[in-house]
Amino acid sequence: MSGHAPVLSSVRADAPQQAQAQARAPGRAGARSRWWTVLWNCVSLAVALLAWQIGAAEYHSPYLPGPVAIYVAFVDLARNGDVLGISLWTHVWASVYRLLVGFGLGVAFGVPLGLLMGLYNAVYRNIRAVIEPFRFIPPIAWIPLAIILFTGLTRYAFLIFLGAFFPIFTATLIGVARVEPIHRKVAMVYGAGKAYVLARVVLPTVLPDILGGMRVGLGTAWMTIVAAELTGGTPTGLGRMMVNYSELLRIPEVVVAMVLIGLIGFAFNEILLLLEKYLFRWRWQVTL
Amino acid sequence: MSERKVKVDVDVSHSFGALCVHDGLQFAVRENEFLCVCGPSGCGKTTLLDILAGLLKPTRGRVLVHGKPVDPKRQNISFVFQEPSTLPWLTVRDNVAMGLRIKKRRASEIRGVVDDILGVVNLRGYENYYPHQISGGMKQRVAIARAFATDADVILMDEPFVSLDQPTRERMQAEVLSIWGRKKGTIIFVTHNLEEAVFLGDRTIVLSAKPARILADVPIALPRPRNTLSPEFTRLRAQFAGLLNSAVLSNAG
Repeated sequence: MSGHAPVLSSVRADAPQQAQAQARAPGRAGARSRWWTVLWNCVSLAVALLAWQIGAAEYHSPYLPGPVAIYVAFVDLARNGDVLGISLWTHVWASVYRLLVGFGLGVAFGVPLGLLMGLYNAVYRNIRAVIEPFRFIPPIAWIPLAIILFTGLTRYAFLIFLGAFFPIFTATLIGVARVEPIHRKVAMVYGAGKAYVLARVVLPTVLPDILGGMRVGLGTAWMTIVAAELTGGTPTGLGRMMVNYSELLRIPEVVVAMVLIGLIGFAFNEILLLLEKYLFRWRWQVTL
Repeated sequence: MSERKVKVDVDVSHSFGALCVHDGLQFAVRENEFLCVCGPSGCGKTTLLDILAGLLKPTRGRVLVHGKPVDPKRQNISFVFQEPSTLPWLTVRDNVAMGLRIKKRRASEIRGVVDDILGVVNLRGYENYYPHQISGGMKQRVAIARAFATDADVILMDEPFVSLDQPTRERMQAEVLSIWGRKKGTIIFVTHNLEEAVFLGDRTIVLSAKPARILADVPIALPRPRNTLSPEFTRLRAQFAGLLNSAVLSNAG
């Protein structure tokens, strides 16, 4: 055992190279393999589209269009609007707008209530019987009631709210339980009040869970809006447009609507993922 | 020996329900004194620190800091925990600044203090790193820097080096002494490592097992830096070892 005199100069020895090497290495190797992945994905996509086009041309049915026919229909819709003269972008914006309103409400209610129930667990445990039954009714099942009770934007916002609220609420609730007591203690020792602990300890801890819940909620909400629009009550919306064209047996346009719906859902998911990556640079876990 | 003011005056007994953890602990800590508290595992050292920090009210008795009952909101108390307590979403700089921000110091003052103290703990250059990018020893250094940054009335340390390996632990001990030499402060340092207690403390209190009583309150007059191989050091260490062993045995019997 050494008799230790202060050895301050060697204190720096351990971590600098280690930390810097850690920060640099995965990036460089990862970037190269990512390019290969992108390339292979493009190739697979091109092959799949080609196979589809050939299959469609061979089969020659108006009900099973190939990618070319779908593209042509898309261009036509984008330029001239649909059979009623409503532009494609009106439809897109109508659906997106409803989604944003309903989703916004879902977040506005889901996060505070989740925090509240998480912090005051006793209350939550005692009223679960009231909340839980609603959680398992899929938003789509609410459609008949929604048709009777509401019209227009309210109807859609209500249904989307139902789809978004529960994932966000539940994720927030569970996230609060993961707050480390030691982080709370650190703040309290310095004299922080409840407000500070909530804003600077609880919230940053729960935020990753909230965003995860938001992604799930967004997915559910987007599925709900399409289903809701399918049942009618509005001249605009991608779901509405899809139904119109299906009644006219014009399948390419129906598929255009499907692809757009998928793309928009994908885009929203990616936006939230980017937000997560930016907000959570301090984490080392991988987000999916 | 100079007559220094009493900074912390302790007289507590504490029980969790029927389990008596502390039985009449009475001691005083003088200003800028480095007090080590030693005891067997499970004797309630962490509970004692919680009481000293004002996070827990003792079932009997009181803790006075500067003559007033301890209150983290009104007084300046720092705590270095056993596990790394850095907030993972804050950079090293923001972690160190945390106590100062809660106490609402001015931004310009905070910046200066943080820069200065990061220099003292040898973390210059890591200001913008996140905790997951630095080692456990470095995280503890951040916690220590944070504790000293606020010029606290009392700095409480709960076995902060117990999870580090020997060489890192020795470096950290040297560092705590160095930063305490620079910034001064009244420190209460809990450990079950006797060598650490004799190496660091101006004075050491040895606790018995539950219900904890003070077995010894021994000043350590060795000049610093201390040589762990010197005969006086070894004698003190053996003395404490004897006390601890009898404490553990008497409780087991």
